[in-house]
Amino acid sequence: MTSVRSRVVVIGLVLAVSACSTPAKPASARRALQPVLLPDVSRVSESVQRQLRDRYTSLTMKRQDPSTRPAELAEAYGEMGTLLMAAEYLDAAEPAFLNAQSLLPDDMRWPYYLAHLYRLRNDTAKSAALFERTLELQPDDVPTLIWLGGVYVDQGQPDKAEPLLQRALSIQPRSAAALFRLGSAALGKKDYAIAVKHLEGTLREDPRASIAHYPLAMAYRGLGDVARANAHIRQRGAVDAALADPLMRDVSGSLDSALSSETEGVKALDKGEWSTAADYFRKGVALAPDNPSVRHRLGTALFMMGDARGALEQFEETVRRSPDFAKARYSLGVLMATSNRPQRAIEELSAAVRYDPKYVEARLRLAELLRRGNRIQESLSEYEQVINLDPAHAEARLGLAVALVGLGRYEEARDRLSESMKAYPDRPVFAHALARLLAAAPDEGVRDGGLALAIVTELRKRGQSAALAESTAMALAASGQYEEAAALQRQLMAAASKAGRADVTARLAADLAAYERRQPSRTPWRADDAVATMLALK
Amino acid sequence: MIRPPRLLFLSLVLLAGCGVDRTPAAPATQGAQDWFVERAQDTGLDFVHVNGMSGEFYFPENMSPGVGLLDYDNDGDLDVYLVQGQMLGPVNITGQTLKGRLFRNDLKVREDGTRTLRFTDVTDQAGIDAREYGMGVATGDFDNDGCVDFYLTNFGPNQMFHNLCDGTFADVSRQSGAGDPGFSVSASFVDYDRDGWLDLYVANYLDYSIAKNKPCSRLAGERDYCPPVVYIAQMDRLYRNQRNGTFVDVTARALAGGVVAPALGLATADFNGDGWIDIYVTNDNQENLLWINQRDGTLRNTALLAGVALPASGRAEASMGVDAGDVDNDGDEDLFMTELTGEGHNLFVNDGSGLFEDQSLRSGLGPRSLPYTGFGTAWLDVDNDGRLDILTVNGTISAIEALRRANDPLPYHQRKQLFRNLGDGRFEEITDRAGAAFQASEMGRGAAFGDLDNDGDVDVVVANDAGRTRLLVNQIGNGKHWLGLRLAGTRRDMVGARVSVSRKDGSTIWRRARADGSYASAHDPRVLAGLDDSVEAPDVRVVWPSGRVEEWTAVPGDRYTTLTEGTGRRAANR
Repeated sequence: MTSVRSRVVVIGLVLAVSACSTPAKPASARRALQPVLLPDVSRVSESVQRQLRDRYTSLTMKRQDPSTRPAELAEAYGEMGTLLMAAEYLDAAEPAFLNAQSLLPDDMRWPYYLAHLYRLRNDTAKSAALFERTLELQPDDVPTLIWLGGVYVDQGQPDKAEPLLQRALSIQPRSAAALFRLGSAALGKKDYAIAVKHLEGTLREDPRASIAHYPLAMAYRGLGDVARANAHIRQRGAVDAALADPLMRDVSGSLDSALSSETEGVKALDKGEWSTAADYFRKGVALAPDNPSVRHRLGTALFMMGDARGALEQFEETVRRSPDFAKARYSLGVLMATSNRPQRAIEELSAAVRYDPKYVEARLRLAELLRRGNRIQESLSEYEQVINLDPAHAEARLGLAVALVGLGRYEEARDRLSESMKAYPDRPVFAHALARLLAAAPDEGVRDGGLALAIVTELRKRGQSAALAESTAMALAASGQYEEAAALQRQLMAAASKAGRADVTARLAADLAAYERRQPSRTPWRADDAVATMLALK
Repeated sequence: MIRPPRLLFLSLVLLAGCGVDRTPAAPATQGAQDWFVERAQDTGLDFVHVNGMSGEFYFPENMSPGVGLLDYDNDGDLDVYLVQGQMLGPVNITGQTLKGRLFRNDLKVREDGTRTLRFTDVTDQAGIDAREYGMGVATGDFDNDGCVDFYLTNFGPNQMFHNLCDGTFADVSRQSGAGDPGFSVSASFVDYDRDGWLDLYVANYLDYSIAKNKPCSRLAGERDYCPPVVYIAQMDRLYRNQRNGTFVDVTARALAGGVVAPALGLATADFNGDGWIDIYVTNDNQENLLWINQRDGTLRNTALLAGVALPASGRAEASMGVDAGDVDNDGDEDLFMTELTGEGHNLFVNDGSGLFEDQSLRSGLGPRSLPYTGFGTAWLDVDNDGRLDILTVNGTISAIEALRRANDPLPYHQRKQLFRNLGDGRFEEITDRAGAAFQASEMGRGAAFGDLDNDGDVDVVVANDAGRTRLLVNQIGNGKHWLGLRLAGTRRDMVGARVSVSRKDGSTIWRRARADGSYASAHDPRVLAGLDDSVEAPDVRVVWPSGRVEEWTAVPGDRYTTLTEGTGRRAANR
């Protein structure tokens, strides 16, 4: 019934808009206008319904008023089009923009919006044609040059894209968006050196544009530079290269919808624009006060702005309104942990995993807090559950091994670390921890000085560090090479002393004394050494 | 508008349960020039999928079903297993329990070569009771008894059916130890440890249940299906065959170093040319995985550096269906996968070492597929010209604006696409030439590819969501010459075996025996190689999954020949 009724209303409104007016000049343009249909909006949120209906009413009034000037009417159609486009009613928005263009053919906004509309409808040919039309009206419009270049890249026509993007760069030499698309075009042509140049340029101009890292990695791989490729793979992400596009910003920010506000806020968060993000989330909270997701994100944005108190208020309000919203429990837990309130943190994290038993991050954080709070046996169970959920979870595997050491279960810890060392050859922390355990486990059945030495020798080929040197000394001692161990330990102490690290010197002295007594170390790691830091013991 | 009127859907469900077709029908007229003709109903493959849609936007509704081809009765033709859904939510208003169905192929080939396809529903007599909400099918003879078994992925506990070699199956889900309890979509039987027994990889999706269903909306607030990120992904599982009818979960050891991601599709093949089978997994809106076999019972994910985790754009896509095949006839396995509307499908071309280049744009496959959401897909040599073409079955997961404006109760349907390989790295879309069946707009999901009428070309069974199953019979392939091979071990099909077919003109094409790939579906494990106009019997070299290489000379064309491991001339691998 509702649907039929709303359709009747729509038809009535359409008739009113399209037929009941005396055309103003230019009369021919007004006569050629297409009917603009307000779609059935009965299922959208009330705020958006109101917004769409208000704007439609305003358009209708202007359409019916013979004194409305063409420019004013074009503006009204354009505003209707942008709102419909923001609400994802692309088909409905199309005639609105076409009318605006018909009434005001020299205004670049209308072909520009139409070009985006066709791009969103995946009609790249029409999109390209409309962007070309926009450029006829405004040849130096940088967003248009960049978007059109992007459309040609997406069509597999890099040769058509490149001159447009170069023109954009000649106007805005620091445009990360233009550089990114040029890099993509070059990569598509297997022109790896040029791709590297442009994609490195993208990251130089916009270091947050993590989207550039993966194609850059592929370009370095193409040049045979696997090390650089891997380095960029590790930094990959999904944040776009910055493109200042005021016209499209007007569209995306126009909708009175909590989800739209949340979406825009998340984009701002990704770019590190905490304050902008908070503004979007505040708008979302105002529109939907009981939406836990948007309020939780507001708390996150506030925290990132340094407003811990504000963040806490939002997280607590989220939990008050939605007690089972696990993400807010998790955030509260993290906040409490950083505020040195471990008991409350454990309570909140426990609640998070109670409401969402498969929440891996919350369970891992809980395990870490329990382990550091000397509730090692309880932590073990949490680590095991994380590994059960995600058998490949490296941090959980590491935490579990450390917890096993804490419980004196050295053999199990050794086996776990051995397995992980093989599974994660690119994570030397496993090998390093295993070497320490083999060198200094109190359990004689676990100690294996020869193997410990072999592991640290391999690790030192990949890089040197004081922690690794200390581990080498431990392995040498465990292998019975006490003089060599002591000599190395003294060198380390001298370096620490020179660096003014009396604390380190004192710690190293304890093991040196053992080596001088021809005894190996019996402490794989201490709370204050570098390996402990790597193992997140602190 | 996106939320379908509840009563209308319930009526559709009730009608579908009674076997009444409510999906948009393919145009009735089919021309003599059509490359494919649709023949499901007139061959007895009469099946309507019910997705249980109730207006609550439960996740599985728009993700199923798959379809499996298997010769369960060893009579030399492919039978069909069709996956069925259920009503979702607290109340089953249909009062019915729906079940997946097995259709026996009663193909008759007369002396003059003419043939009649006929399918008979044998579900009950075969003892198959599949009442879970079905997602997909994997096939393979896991106990090496010469009779193909099958595995059903479900929204709910998965099921393993053991073929008793007498026309019936036993549900051994519990005894086998492979009844994965998660929300699985695709699976594959694969002998990853080269012990001669098929292991099982299960691609798991999300930690989702009806009780956990969350309300999601489009930007303006209209209710819609949630994106996968709203739920937590589940880890895929690898089960090793213990050679006694049971499997053991070796995920923790074998797949260490991987990531938990919502998996949808998978294809197994030797991607780096070392003779060991690797596994490629497509994930929904997350990086895809390439598990390279380490030859010691473990696999390592190398997808990122290999260039197949993400497209060249660097942005994770929804990757659903997938297939591996040698698209450029250079002797290695390339990858194609289907994506969401606006993303464009992806083609990754292998350099032979397991490193890939994203050729989606240059090939034309990416740009031409932008308006489509693809699911089932496979490389197939439609016209037997010796080059692998590509077919996708499509249907969106989000309502299409024009359809919802027209009050279409299922505003997600799209037509299929067919692309012809031009042999120079580019593909030409030939959907309009493919026949009336390709103009039908449906919610395509699974697609299984195989020669159902044994006439030497690839036919397709399309599993539609909330719609009728389609059988696309190839009309043009056997206009050219072809080579049909069944690659057998002592008892079973040796999926994973690679074949090079060398013709007298010096040209060589590579094909692979496989039952996996596509989306939630299982293919004909036989190999079909198009010989174009060549009438000479080609030489064949087979690289078996065991690593053994054998050759056969002058294998006759235009018929199927069984090549059994151990009966060819031993050759060096090269």
